[in-house]
Amino acid sequence: MITAYKCKACGQMMYPYHYRCIKCGAREFDKVAPSDSAKLLTYTIIEQLPWGFDERGRVLGVIEFTNKVRAMALIDVDADRDEVKLGMKLSVHWEPVRDDYGEKVYGIVCRPA
Amino acid sequence: MKPVVIAGAGMIAFERRDDDSLVDMLAMASLRAMDDAGLGDHPVDAVIVGNMASGLFNHQVSVASALVDKLSLYPAAAERIENGPASGGSAIKHGYQAIASGMADVVLVAGGEKMREVIGPRATDVVAYMAQPEAEYVYGVSLPAMAGMFARLYMKKYGVTAKHLAQVAIKNQANGLLNPYAHIHMKITMEGILTHPDSVVSNPIVADPLRLYDCCPVSDGAAAVVMTTPEIAKTLSSKPPIEVAGIGQATDTHALHEREDPTDLKAVRIAAEKAFAMARCAPQDVHVAELHDAFTILEIAESEHVGFFEKGEGAKALANGVTSLDGHLPINPSGGLKARGHPVGATGVAQAVELVWQLRGEAGERQVRDAVNAFMVNFGGFGNNVVATVLRRES
Amino acid sequence: MRIDMELERYLRPPDREMPPYPAKVITLATGSKMVVRQVFREDVPAILPAVRPTLDIPRDYYDVVGSRVYAELLAWYRYRYRDVFCIIGQIDGLLVGLVNSRMFSPQLGISLHTLAIERGLRIGAHLFAAKMEHHIEYLGQEEVLITAESPIGFRRWMIEYGLELREGQHELGGAAPYALTREMYFDAKHRLVAGERPVPQELMEVAQREIRVASETDIIEKILGARRREIL
Repeated sequence: MITAYKCKACGQMMYPYHYRCIKCGAREFDKVAPSDSAKLLTYTIIEQLPWGFDERGRVLGVIEFTNKVRAMALIDVDADRDEVKLGMKLSVHWEPVRDDYGEKVYGIVCRPA
Repeated sequence: MKPVVIAGAGMIAFERRDDDSLVDMLAMASLRAMDDAGLGDHPVDAVIVGNMASGLFNHQVSVASALVDKLSLYPAAAERIENGPASGGSAIKHGYQAIASGMADVVLVAGGEKMREVIGPRATDVVAYMAQPEAEYVYGVSLPAMAGMFARLYMKKYGVTAKHLAQVAIKNQANGLLNPYAHIHMKITMEGILTHPDSVVSNPIVADPLRLYDCCPVSDGAAAVVMTTPEIAKTLSSKPPIEVAGIGQATDTHALHEREDPTDLKAVRIAAEKAFAMARCAPQDVHVAELHDAFTILEIAESEHVGFFEKGEGAKALANGVTSLDGHLPINPSGGLKARGHPVGATGVAQAVELVWQLRGEAGERQVRDAVNAFMVNFGGFGNNVVATVLRRES
Repeated sequence: MRIDMELERYLRPPDREMPPYPAKVITLATGSKMVVRQVFREDVPAILPAVRPTLDIPRDYYDVVGSRVYAELLAWYRYRYRDVFCIIGQIDGLLVGLVNSRMFSPQLGISLHTLAIERGLRIGAHLFAAKMEHHIEYLGQEEVLITAESPIGFRRWMIEYGLELREGQHELGGAAPYALTREMYFDAKHRLVAGERPVPQELMEVAQREIRVASETDIIEKILGARRREIL
């Protein structure tokens, strides 16, 4: 799973890593593990994926974990894309999100909780 | 700093140009700008090329040196400027700095991209390389996908509807019909892209809520300007030089999810504020604008962020015809990225070329009347590096 | 040329009875109405002039697709290709694209080619969908075998329809065969198949009166999008 970073000076949560805090510029952080549930802040159903994907489309979203870490994620809703709603609760998993010519690449995968 | 003007402007038609290499396109556009400036044998001190990804699209790098060579402009200094889709705007900014600092007297700034050398999904992938690698790119995000996520929130918050988005597309494609340099020459209708049931197939979803006709095409093309001092410009040609009155640039977080308010295009706001401050004028003083409508939602959102309209009023202004060619503040008379096309590195320069033509009264059928102040936004990344520019006709 | 009908008896393939494809009208992004209808053997001479200019256009494999379509239509016209159907798209009578296909057996269809003459309006996608519609809904077939000769076709058909790779070869040779099954078709139908029936009488009359074909120069320029290159 991803690691987020909390600024020791101002408490700002960050992901991915920055060498300086995006809010106050401080350089020391506590590592934070995201919680295992999140809510959906926004999403899109992408029907035309870039080169490198053989699937027709997928749902991508921005999520906020219960402990305020934010990240982009693959939203796995199988066939029923109509069930995707802004603000919906999600369970969070660390699973393959991309196949790089046979090599699995891992990322955040969310499912409706 | 010394004042800086655009003395010459030129471009080639944007489209799929199988027969021309990137450097050929840059050279053709450059010659037009040089001739337009009346440059003759006057030396060019520096050549600056705005280009995003020649290495990836065309297997060629150092394209600025290659352009100097094609045009035999040695020993001019030469650099390529890469700032994603804002490469063109950035290149103009660097041209400005070179003249204003006194380091150069005459600078040729050319922007170009040859994207159609690869098939569509590959081009989408290359453009997606500007996303954050481990936190965004890996998921298969594309720029349309980012715009889709942005649009979903923006539409909800400010009451922008699918009809508003379609109105941007229809307006800009109608303007594009009047622009012989535009990639897309096709009049589209509300019935065809939105209200008729067949539009589900004729105008399919690309990245919900954005559909095919909400997105700019993938194009090949190049545009160029000659920048110099007002004094030198007057010795070259009798055409009115266009003052580069203000330039502002600003950046924002790389990853979309790290923005405090994901509907706030902070870099657009700040870049515009800086440009207007430098030009000592206000958004209300602008007579014609070229905004970066890579996606229809962006024209509406940018028109608000730069201060033309209050938040939530941009769509209404559009619907009321304020931003139409015959409206109070025409936006994208060229057809914008939507119709002119978006060869990424060329776009910022092409925006400037259009505005030079508009300010000189050379824009033909799409001429906006009596424009003195013109404004452009060149939007890099998904809004994480934005260049805004004010151009002015000297009175 | 006199044809020796005694010999022709042996050479001409027998044709299977095929239910007709009911014409439909599709509204395009421009608001134009494209009549999509089946044409028959006797219409071939009117269509060939539209295909001919593509023979010299290498871009997007128009030359490969165009020459094969030309040969397929001609062979059909001269009774050397059996169980073929052809569906065309017309705007105000003007031919803007065509698809052809074959009924290999009552269960299996063989998709041949898709040729879009007007570009940028998803005409190829609409006509390809019409061809699948005919195979599955009107001919009642279980499966259609498809292959692609251009990258555009590959991307469009394989990914948009989620086709399944099949063993063996497609009748056209070349790339691997993929299959569209009834189930896949009905899953994709709402996204990919457009159009209204019946076609209003006045539109149908215009379409049937004459299959108009653009000039050779116009066709080349439509396909290459190069109409302004001379001056710009």
